[in-house]
Amino acid sequence: MTPIRAEMVAKVVEVVAAVGQDVLPGDTVLVLESMKMEIPVLAETAGRIDQLTVSEGTTVAEGEVLVVLE
Amino acid sequence: MTAVFAGNEVRSPEERIGALADPGTVTVQQRSDSALWATANLRGVPSIVFALDHRLQGGAMHAGNCALIVSAYRLAIRDGRPVVGLWHSAGAKLQDGIRSLHAVAQVFHVMTEASGRIPQISVILGPAAGGAAYGPALTDIVIMAPAARMFITGPSIIREVTGEQIDIDSLGGPRAHGETSGVAHVIAESENDALDRAAELVELLGARRSVDTATVADRPFDDALPDRVRRAYDIHPVIDRLLDAAPVELHPGWARSIVTSLGRLGGGTVGVLASNPLRRGGCLDSLSAEKAARFVRMCDSLGVPMVVLVDVPGYLPGVTEEWGGVVRRGAKLLHAFAEASIPRVTLILRKAYGGAYIAMNCRGLGADRVLAWPRAEIAVMGATAAVRLLRRRELAAVSDQERPALEAAFVDEHLANAGDAAAAVELGVVDEIIQPDRTRSAVADALAGLPTARGSHGNIPL
Repeated sequence: MTPIRAEMVAKVVEVVAAVGQDVLPGDTVLVLESMKMEIPVLAETAGRIDQLTVSEGTTVAEGEVLVVLE
Repeated sequence: MTAVFAGNEVRSPEERIGALADPGTVTVQQRSDSALWATANLRGVPSIVFALDHRLQGGAMHAGNCALIVSAYRLAIRDGRPVVGLWHSAGAKLQDGIRSLHAVAQVFHVMTEASGRIPQISVILGPAAGGAAYGPALTDIVIMAPAARMFITGPSIIREVTGEQIDIDSLGGPRAHGETSGVAHVIAESENDALDRAAELVELLGARRSVDTATVADRPFDDALPDRVRRAYDIHPVIDRLLDAAPVELHPGWARSIVTSLGRLGGGTVGVLASNPLRRGGCLDSLSAEKAARFVRMCDSLGVPMVVLVDVPGYLPGVTEEWGGVVRRGAKLLHAFAEASIPRVTLILRKAYGGAYIAMNCRGLGADRVLAWPRAEIAVMGATAAVRLLRRRELAAVSDQERPALEAAFVDEHLANAGDAAAAVELGVVDEIIQPDRTRSAVADALAGLPTARGSHGNIPL
């Protein structure tokens, strides 16, 4: 299980990937908004999305788990 | 990370130096039972290499082997040669008490004397505890092999004193120091990879050469930025395209909103410092400013010209940042650029806002040449944010229907007066707006036109 965490306080503006989907390194799993920028969150390892713990509009804290890859 | 050596492989220091150096160039100058040093060529660069012999008393440091390291440094300083240390040591030898502490301190002293004068690279090949961790930490670049473990107090003492339970790998392995502490600059895939990376860095720092503009062909950069101004992107492909070949990135896994890499442009070694919008929007924060400051001072002291790529929305806001010393650590970056003597060229790709604009090698801090892509925006803050603040009364006075059009008009007016690249050229804070497809030649021409120089200071491990 590999968690993908938020690097900064941000709002989730787009959830791109879905639970059960296979992702490769570099694939965008969701998009955050902070500092008036849209920041894609990328998978850093290959895996299947096991959990998606946020939805569009959620505000996340730095270090908060967004997605868990298996 | 669990990889140690394959099987029970325990290579001798001679075998390790043999794997590091160009074949047939190693001459052992001094050998004791627990260490050796040698002259050798690393990718053609005459260098000094020393290694502790971990097979005897765990490579513990004592008066004998410390004196040997000091001798190696004396020659390296005299002849201006890079030093590579191969570390695998339990630290100061306990049985020798204060004598070993004194000897370790003398190693630290000579390393600091060499700092900023010759390139120093440390390769950690096994445990490196206490003095054997601080020795490498005083050098310019720390490379960790998979078996490397660096710490001051080990798991058993930590458990005894604080009650924290942690294994030695989690505490001081490559991941801990590559991603959390920032102690390690390069995390290698194997012992041989660690040695290869050391030789590559010796070549970059020891055979710097000048930029040969005749060899620099332009490459397309028109698709380098996303269509939408608000969209973040990864800066790495831009750096790769700018340089002759993919560079060596230092601290790739730590404080990632800033990228620090050594590579070549037109054959000449350059240090690239770049915002990475993909990470925290490219914001400067307390750790990334400190990482950047140390890199700038290393480049300056070792005579490596710099290219600074700017797309920075500002400093990261937050209580954690303020209490984490973003004022104190950010000041290190201002100081590093303001004191730098090396040729340094800034290219503003997109945003350069506020205090972060200053910190990223602006004209006012002494940048030799400042270039900007056509879409560059230099301002105290984004145009929309500025207009909403400065023109808030006029915007409030109109109806909701009229407001967007008025705001857009104010934004255009604001950009024309305060923020766009043309205004910056008029002010003299940007020298030239370049088409992205001319980036390689423009940066190379700028560097080639500047006199070589380097700062006369050490590279304190900020």
